[in-house]
Amino acid sequence: MKLWTLTEGNKEFINETGSITKFANRFFIVGMKPRYEFKELLTQCYLIGYKSLPLVALTGFIMGLVLTMQLRPSLIVYGVESQLPEMVGISIVREVGPVITALIFAGKIGSSIGAELGSMKVTEQIDAMEVSGINPFKFLVATRIISTTLMLPILTVLADAIALFGSYIGVNINSVTSFSLFFTQVFQGLDLNDLLPAVIKTFFFGFAVGVVGCYKGFNSNKGTKGVGIAANSAVVLSSVLIFIIDLLAVQIADLMGLNY
Amino acid sequence: MGNYAENNMRLGIFVLVGLIVLIFAFYMVGKNKSIFGGNFELKARFSNSNGLMKGSNVLYSGIQAGTVKSLKLINDTTIEATLLIDNEVKSFIRKNAIVTIGTEGLMGNKVIQITPFKGNSPLVKEGDLLESKKVASIDEMLQTLSRTNDNIAGISDGLRQTVVEINKSTLWKLLGDKAAANGIESTINQMHQASINANAFSKDLEMILSETKSGKGTAGLLLTDTAFATQLRMALVGIKSAGDHANELTLQLNQMASDLKKDLDNSNGFLNFLVKDSLMIKKLNATMDNIEKGTDGFNQNMEALKHNFLFRGYFKKLEKEKEKRKTIDQSLRIDK
Repeated sequence: MKLWTLTEGNKEFINETGSITKFANRFFIVGMKPRYEFKELLTQCYLIGYKSLPLVALTGFIMGLVLTMQLRPSLIVYGVESQLPEMVGISIVREVGPVITALIFAGKIGSSIGAELGSMKVTEQIDAMEVSGINPFKFLVATRIISTTLMLPILTVLADAIALFGSYIGVNINSVTSFSLFFTQVFQGLDLNDLLPAVIKTFFFGFAVGVVGCYKGFNSNKGTKGVGIAANSAVVLSSVLIFIIDLLAVQIADLMGLNY
Repeated sequence: MGNYAENNMRLGIFVLVGLIVLIFAFYMVGKNKSIFGGNFELKARFSNSNGLMKGSNVLYSGIQAGTVKSLKLINDTTIEATLLIDNEVKSFIRKNAIVTIGTEGLMGNKVIQITPFKGNSPLVKEGDLLESKKVASIDEMLQTLSRTNDNIAGISDGLRQTVVEINKSTLWKLLGDKAAANGIESTINQMHQASINANAFSKDLEMILSETKSGKGTAGLLLTDTAFATQLRMALVGIKSAGDHANELTLQLNQMASDLKKDLDNSNGFLNFLVKDSLMIKKLNATMDNIEKGTDGFNQNMEALKHNFLFRGYFKKLEKEKEKRKTIDQSLRIDK
């Protein structure tokens, strides 16, 4: 009986994976066709991107500051304290910045999209839109997925910049470094191989958050309870997907020789 | 509607700032890696790239001047590195510049260092091949260190052997012998005493010399007194004259001896009679006997004279004076 339940769970997982893939595929087929909902797209970009900036900026600043202060003692042990800006720069730009920003983004935006679309679904607003001749997939889903896909890279770049500023303050807590020297050292350590894969993978992070959030909200049921489930599972699944995509990105970058 | 436009403005600023930061980051990274801006190529060949990679930095006198564009294997012992150099540095690099492979810090990435060389040389042109110089790598240093260690081990073995031999040797026993040590100590003390004596002697000598210089003492007089020198010269003249007389006397004696010899040989002269005439000897003996007899007779006459009453008083007086002188001599001896 237990084995059966396990198999049922697996079946559900595989089924959901397939459904999300179909949902993403539908976005490319339906969402990319005209007519485009530009107005709604801009609204969503504003809500998803601009409104997330304070949270992302705060976490980015703290992230840079804390990372610097915690790396410092280890580097002192090896006598390479002067390499702190380069090391922090590489870790923020390559990994910490994109992943932490994406997770914060998933927590805030994934849940809000899941809850918003879920509540619209359970209150039959989506059905009403369909009746009134508006394609709900285009209007609600495509705009949100495009917004998350476009906004997360911008948020990540800004978060990286703010994190580096936080790191500069972190360096200056224990020693004195000029702003120009700090940033020269940071960019001295950076390479296009660091910057490009990091920026590219954030598009995939944003897409994953948008697709999962929309899918969970768009397919929610069980009334108001389903809204909560949709919001929660959207955050969990998109967070997991962010790590999986990150793993794949590292592997692909490694295969392409971009990690050297 | 107004709110919507305002939101759009905010969104626009947000996106623009994000893009500017992204472009700035790309520009900064690209600038460091010579992606943007004008640049030109130079080439350098090495026998060992020492871990140099595509994209490694190129420094000109320690300043970032470009990157390594590519590394190509020319043959089994030569690697050609193509360097992408900023145009800004072009007007400073000359054809006699030396290219070496270095390291950033102690364990950092490999970099190419272009070092200017003294002397006039034309500026480099696109695609020029710069002379490279091999720098001792850590591996080579370790190999040398390994050889040095072997040498030190050999030396320490030899030293150990020597120490063992010394321990076995008589010299070592001598070093541990207290009697020898005492003897050496005593010798050193004596040497010390000798040195003190020598010192005193040298002082005395110095004093004598100074006195001599100042004309004191016999030697000083000898060396400095001109009158003495004159006297000495006169004495020497006298001695010479005496010598000459002695020489003359010797010649005369020789002459006399030869005359006597001649007389003896020819049986002439008094000496010949004295030595060879037996009759003369007999007469001399008879004369000597007669003199002896005469002397005995004279003694008897003198003894008879003492007993004569005329001369007895005189002889008694002589006896008394003789006794008196003897007594005075004895008293003088007792006083001493």
